[in-house]
Order: sequence, then structure tokens, then C-alpha cells
Amino acid sequence: MSENSDDNAHPGGLNRRAFLKAAGLGSAVVGGAGMAGFGYAAGKDPDTYLGWQNQEGASLVFRRDGYRVDKPTYEVVGETRRMDARTHQIFERRGRFMAEYRRILGARRGMDGEEGPEKAAITPGDFSEPLRSYYREQPQDLELDILAVEEIMPRLRADSREYGDRYVLARAWSNAMGAVGPDPIREPPEVNDLPRDRRGRPGEPVRLKDPARTAELIKAVAMQFGSTLVGITELNPDWVYGYPVHGRGFEDTEEPLEIPDWWTYAIVVGVPMSWDPMYANPTYGTSNDAYSRSRIIATRLEAFIKTLGYAARTHVPGTSYDLMVPPVAIDAGLGEQGRHGVMITPEVGCNFRPAVVTTNIPLATDRPIDFGVQDFCAHCKVCAEACPSGAIPMGEKEEVRGYRRYKIDTAKCLNFWNSNLGNMGCRICIAVCPYTRKANWLHRMALEVTANDPTGLSERVLTGMHKGFYPGPDPEEYYIPSLGGENASFRDPPWWLRTEDFVDLG
Amino acid sequence: MQIFTSGMFWFVEGILFMVVILGTRAWVRDRGLAVSAWTWALFVLWLGFAGFTLAFVGTSLGEGEPTAATRGGLLFGMIAIVSGVGIWRLFGAGEQRDRERVGSVESGS
Repeated sequence: MSENSDDNAHPGGLNRRAFLKAAGLGSAVVGGAGMAGFGYAAGKDPDTYLGWQNQEGASLVFRRDGYRVDKPTYEVVGETRRMDARTHQIFERRGRFMAEYRRILGARRGMDGEEGPEKAAITPGDFSEPLRSYYREQPQDLELDILAVEEIMPRLRADSREYGDRYVLARAWSNAMGAVGPDPIREPPEVNDLPRDRRGRPGEPVRLKDPARTAELIKAVAMQFGSTLVGITELNPDWVYGYPVHGRGFEDTEEPLEIPDWWTYAIVVGVPMSWDPMYANPTYGTSNDAYSRSRIIATRLEAFIKTLGYAARTHVPGTSYDLMVPPVAIDAGLGEQGRHGVMITPEVGCNFRPAVVTTNIPLATDRPIDFGVQDFCAHCKVCAEACPSGAIPMGEKEEVRGYRRYKIDTAKCLNFWNSNLGNMGCRICIAVCPYTRKANWLHRMALEVTANDPTGLSERVLTGMHKGFYPGPDPEEYYIPSLGGENASFRDPPWWLRTEDFVDLG
Repeated sequence: MQIFTSGMFWFVEGILFMVVILGTRAWVRDRGLAVSAWTWALFVLWLGFAGFTLAFVGTSLGEGEPTAATRGGLLFGMIAIVSGVGIWRLFGAGEQRDRERVGSVESGS
């Protein structure tokens, strides 16, 4: 096209070049509006809330295979050992503490007939083993355990009377989600795990052709049961509790837990919590929704495996497990451990509630993954800055039972759980984590960039932007009013959890 | 909303993008500017960045993150404006306008 032809006027008086200029300007406006509209639609799109849109895993687009490594990204730095759940598993210890604390106070009241002054003199020596030795080594945990009972829980009860009605829909939602699910296993492994036929006789295992094909089968079935992610690993005995927790069928929880021969493999399944309530933690979210689903998935998987004649046992948090679930999931290649102690997956960040099935069905295992979380968490610290209890360290990793990791102060963490309204728990570290974002183009792009940038520059830039763009309340604002807070949540709740819009609060 | 996630949307966006390029080319010829290939490449990149900025604002609003939309929009918008002025100068349009202004002043005096 010649220059002259551009200048030729059309019958309407508009030459080609003028038309192109006007069309270009108009296209810039329309195209720009289109990009904004695309962005808005992407931001709103419920399909980017992974784990709730289907049961096929079709939208789990992260190319995991490119990030497989031979060893998990945690380090072994000393002689490893199993956790003594009686003292180091916070729920178990707090339960033991509560029982013993009441006994100690009751005995003292019986002696002097008065209440009050006896509390000040509680020492580690007042407790029986193993709490006695533990509190002597960790006296600050005794203080925190007493603080929970004597100060935090009474204040929460008082504030619940004053403010609790605001969160009745959140509690109703949590209770409803937790109301459905199989009963927790309350039988020991030799009773529960082994397959039986309809007459109660030991089951005969079917002959399976190939462990790799069986692994594919197990994953496909677990997805059909509703699991968002599935991974398989050989069970590292270090992750099994050294002593069993209460309520799992072990006759004597003071005897070491013997790991059954058939806990050879661990299959990890799980789903995310409902996303909008999760962002509205700590007051509106709940773990019940995901744990309930994970429990159903794992129990179905256990039944499936037993029907094939192999042993299986589910381990599902909140309390029904004989092992630490997150490191097993890391071994199974589902993610890496973050600064907050929670596993971070590429797909759903740390919004993932896993369950484990231990089994002896022959399986091919998955390799762990490394997608840059360790470097990212070293600089990010968003969770540590947002944590109201100060349980997440700002500093370096430490040795914990022979492994180098960020050491979480679980007593501080649980004390905050016990000091906020709404549902049991906190989950702020999950909500604020930069990896826990919707799976839209923006956050997928950030994930791909940080996972593939060896310089670490993008991690620092994106972390800075994250802190500037996605601020939350000050940590102290998350507390209840009587502890100096404002019952804050990280984000506003979804419309269907706003009690004040549905309930006359007077 | 579904139109924004369809393949047709990106087809139309592509057409609009090309029309913007053609319109700019017409404007360049109209002004008699000589624009190098790498300046055109920078301009295309700038258009992509401007589109990213708008999409970022839209996405943040859609996610219910107005602070991110505001702060990100300001940050990326400022970068887009500053770099846009730079590309404007690379096109030579600014210098030409300066020359025209000087010329009109001289002829007027």
C-alpha cells in the first residue's frame, strides 16, 4: 500500500489513515476495557478456587514433574528420633495437663479447704511423668498451659457471652461440616487394619500385576472419592509418634508405639478448606469442612484397599492419627514445609487438609518436589509478621529431633486458638501466605516465576509487592476485646456467613 | 462473565491489538516520523504492560482486594505512564512537537 493510497479520501470524507487512527484509538479503549473485564472475571471466577469445582483434578495445572527431586527439602542434621506425642503433641499434652492440673488443684483444695492461693505454687514436680520431666526442661510451656486455663479460657467465655452471637452462622457452618463423616478409628492396628472377609476371616490379597499401575489406580480412585491431590511414599518411621495418642485403640499410651509391619506405604489425600471462609480467619473459617471431606475420602480408600485384601488404616487430623501428617505429605511429593510449619503445595498453597492411609498394598512411590519454597520462606516472613501469638519464628531454622526446620511454639499457637471467637482454631498463617491464592493467571504467573528464578530476585520483589498490596489487620487486632483486640478477621466473611444480615442480634 | 474466559474473547482482543498497531502506524506516517523496529518492539511490549496493568486492577477487584487494585494500579500505572512517555520520545513525536512549537514561535515573531 503506497503512502498516497493512505491519503485517498473515501466518499464519506474519511481517508484510510484517519480511519485507522480513529479505529486504533477506539480499539485501545475497547481492548483496555476488555483486559480490565478479563481481569475482573478472572478474579471473580469460582473455578479458580481449586478443589471444590470438580473431582477429576482436571484443572490442577501445575507441571509437578519438572520439580521432582530425590530428597525432600528438609534437612537431616543429627540423630533423628520419633516425637513423644504425650508431651510434644500439643493436643495430647494439653489434655494431659488439664486432667492433672484439676487433680492437683483438687488435692490442694482438699487440704486447706480454700480456693485461690494454691495456684501460684504449681511446679513441674506436681505433675506425674512424663509431664514432670517435660516441664522441667520446658518451664515456659507450663506457664503457657496454666495461662490458657487460668486466664485465656475464662476471658473467652466472658467475651463469648458478649460477642459470640455475631458468629453463630460461622459456628453453625462449622458444626454442620463436621457433623458428617465416619467415626474415628478407636481400635488398635491389629484389630482395625487387617482385611477380613464377610465372615470375619483374614482376607486374601488379590494378586496385583504391577505396583506402578496399582499406584495409578489408587490415585484415580482417590480422586473419584473427592481428593484434590494424591501422593504416595514409603512411610518414614520417624513420622510415627513414639507413644500413641489417646483414643486410637492402644491399650496403654504409656508404652512405646510399635510400628506395625504393614505400615509400609503412606497414601496422602486431602482437600482445601472452603476458600472464602478461609480468608476470613480466624473468626469465620473452620477446618471441619476439609477434615470432614478428607476423613470420608481416606476411609473410603481404606475400605477399597481392604476389599482387595490388604491392610489399611486412616490417619486424619484433627485428632485421629498415629503419625505426623505434614512430613508424610512432603515425602509423598505434595509440597514443601513453610516457615509456619504447614505444608505448602503448588496448587492450593497451604490451604490443604491432608489425611493419610498407611497400607501394605504394593505401590510405586512419588518423589518429593522442590519449587523454591525454602528460599521464598527465608525472605518472606509474612506469616510470622501476621501471627498474633508469635508462635512462628522470625529467625532461622533449628534442629528439631534431628531435622532442621522452623520451630513453631505450639503452646503459644494453641493459646491463641483458645482466645478467639467463632470456630476453634486460627489459620491466619494459612490465609496470609502468598502461596495460598486463587489459581488465576496472576498468581499462577507469580508461582511460575518464583519457582523458576534461581537468582531469588523475583521472590524478594514479589514478597515486597505482596506485603504492600495485601495488608491485613495488625496482629493484636485478631484478639478478643478483653485481651486487647477487636475480633478482626483477615478478610471480610462471605455474605452467607454474615450473621448480622440474617439474625436479629438485638 | 463467561465471555472473558472464552477463546473468542482473546480472538477479539487480538484483532483490537492489531488495529491499535495499525492505527499507531497510520499516526506515525501522518506525522512523518521515522520509527525503528526496536522502538516498535518496545511499543508492543508497552501495550502488553498496559494491558497487564488493567488486568491486574480488574483481577484484584474481582478477588475482593481493593487495596491491591489501588496500590497495584498506581504502581503499575505510574510505570506505564513514565515508560509511555519514554516511548513517545523514542517515537520522536515529542521532539517533532518541540520543533513545530519553536518554528511557530519564530515565524510568529
